[in-house]
Amino acid sequence: MLNLIRKDIVLQKNSLLILLPALFIFLFLERSVIWVGVIFCFAIIMQSFALDEKPSANLLMNSLPYTRKEIVSSKYIGACVFTFLVLLTIVIGNLIIHREITQWDQLLFIASVIVVFISFAFPFSYLFKSQYLMMACGVLFVLYVVLVNTFIPDLGDRLRAGVQTILSFDNSLLYAGGILAAVLLYMFSWMLSIRIYSRKVF
Amino acid sequence: MENVIELQNVNKAFKGFELKDLSISVKKGFVTGFIGGNGVGKSTTIKLILNLLQPDSGDVSVFGLNYKKHEKEIKQRIGFVFDHNVFYEHITLSDMKKIIKPAYKNWDDGIFHQYVNLFELPLKKSIKTFSKGMMMKASLAFALSHRAELIIMDEPTSGLDPIFRRELLDILHDIMQDGEKTIFFSTHITTDLDRIADYITFIHNGQHIFTKEHYKIEEDYAIVKGETNLLDRDTEQEFIGIRKSNHGFEALTTNKQRTANLFGDMVILEKPTLEDIMLYTKKGNDNYVKSYS
Amino acid sequence: MQIIISNTSKEPIYEQIYVQIKKHILTNELQAGEALPSMRQLAKDLDISVITTKRAYEELEKNGFIFSIVGKGSFVSEQNNEMILERKRKVIEEQLLSAIQNSKEIGVELEELLELLTMLYKEDT
Repeated sequence: MLNLIRKDIVLQKNSLLILLPALFIFLFLERSVIWVGVIFCFAIIMQSFALDEKPSANLLMNSLPYTRKEIVSSKYIGACVFTFLVLLTIVIGNLIIHREITQWDQLLFIASVIVVFISFAFPFSYLFKSQYLMMACGVLFVLYVVLVNTFIPDLGDRLRAGVQTILSFDNSLLYAGGILAAVLLYMFSWMLSIRIYSRKVF
Repeated sequence: MENVIELQNVNKAFKGFELKDLSISVKKGFVTGFIGGNGVGKSTTIKLILNLLQPDSGDVSVFGLNYKKHEKEIKQRIGFVFDHNVFYEHITLSDMKKIIKPAYKNWDDGIFHQYVNLFELPLKKSIKTFSKGMMMKASLAFALSHRAELIIMDEPTSGLDPIFRRELLDILHDIMQDGEKTIFFSTHITTDLDRIADYITFIHNGQHIFTKEHYKIEEDYAIVKGETNLLDRDTEQEFIGIRKSNHGFEALTTNKQRTANLFGDMVILEKPTLEDIMLYTKKGNDNYVKSYS
Repeated sequence: MQIIISNTSKEPIYEQIYVQIKKHILTNELQAGEALPSMRQLAKDLDISVITTKRAYEELEKNGFIFSIVGKGSFVSEQNNEMILERKRKVIEEQLLSAIQNSKEIGVELEELLELLTMLYKEDT
């Protein structure tokens, strides 16, 4: 299984070499760390997912001595590895550019958002295709815009405020609860993906 | 004799196509050629053997093991070649090796580089620049570098030039020297089989028609040629697939001896090619279907 | 050992191999105890399937021309070989006798018969 994760890194080698330095630029421009972190994690993880989505890649992976369980699991663990890489880059970047230590709750927040996002994105993509995920996101975005314009005009602000509120909580119990919920969701999604993938026909 | 692959009463249905009660066995130490027309279930069968598909019912076992319990063990011992490229196209052959090598316990870099040199494959060029023949050679290099005991190939010679097809057969002969390895491959190019195949497995419309020693085919089957007036309701029963013209008939018999006894000098009996057998079986099958509809 | 295979011949390939190896044995080109190439090596050399050479060797073994030792290969048999030669010689003797008888019946002289034999013998090779 480690081999499969290493494989994803070998395959992503070139884009990682471009994306991770690009992250520095965004940090330099002082964009929101959370926003940048989430986008980069998601881009790298989904790109790696999309590469293995072709029938030929599935044919190859499944003909090699790996089980379907391992193939799916490697994607879930790989997502954690990629997230860690991005977070590490952020920490190092902030240290070099701004001479400051990134707040750990920001990092944790990025990780939680990614965990929740992947929990939905992977089973969805195994069931359909990751291309449809983009469409689904588009539809969601349209819904969001409609929602903002017709019902709750200040939804954006509220979300931002919400994020700030969550981050400003000093209740470690709440944090622990949140993380536990995210991890449970991730585990559930993992099991679900294995079930979906085992029944796939190439 | 030991069977390396065993399919027992396998059924698998898709939309508009099904494998019906398929039972096939592949003998250890020999080359089995797998023939049949397009869309009769060859690729599906190969995918079942590689556990890329699971049967609706029936058993698939490889090396006497089943996939439910021994998936990785089985796949460690199989080398595979598909008719199209399954490798990541945007990376180089040497990166691809980095991906495949750690998957196998018995990987041997020496063998891999020996084949890469023999096939004159560029290690540092991205795979998408490879020609069809080079892709095939690369697949073969990967399939042979982990000392696989069973090599499964889906149409390995399609799209290859005759010179490389010959070279490939030579390589296969070399692999077979120790008698421990087994090759199972599907093909359209039946002349390749004359040079290498020990057994021929023929399927048609999702059903197993026969598995025979190669030399046995010409002992059993024959092309029969004669005058049309020899044909009547009874004699037609002797053949599968008959082609009639104004000048005579041509048919396939599955029992050469019987036909020879029955018609004697009135007909000519000829050695059938595998293509003849495929063609007449299809013809016979269609007629059969027609007469019932 | 020379073996020439014809793909267009009506004779099955294993039969062609059988006949040619048998000839090599009977003419002592392959001597008793001599090892034959392995089935698999021969198949590779002749560019044919292993099962074909296997069948040829099985036929040779069945008829006592060769014997095989598991793990070592196939060898030309000894006593059977001489028996076969003897048998063959007997057949030749009988055939020659009937030829002589026929010659005498129509008055063909020994010299003429010898000439004919020499001619036919040379023609065949």
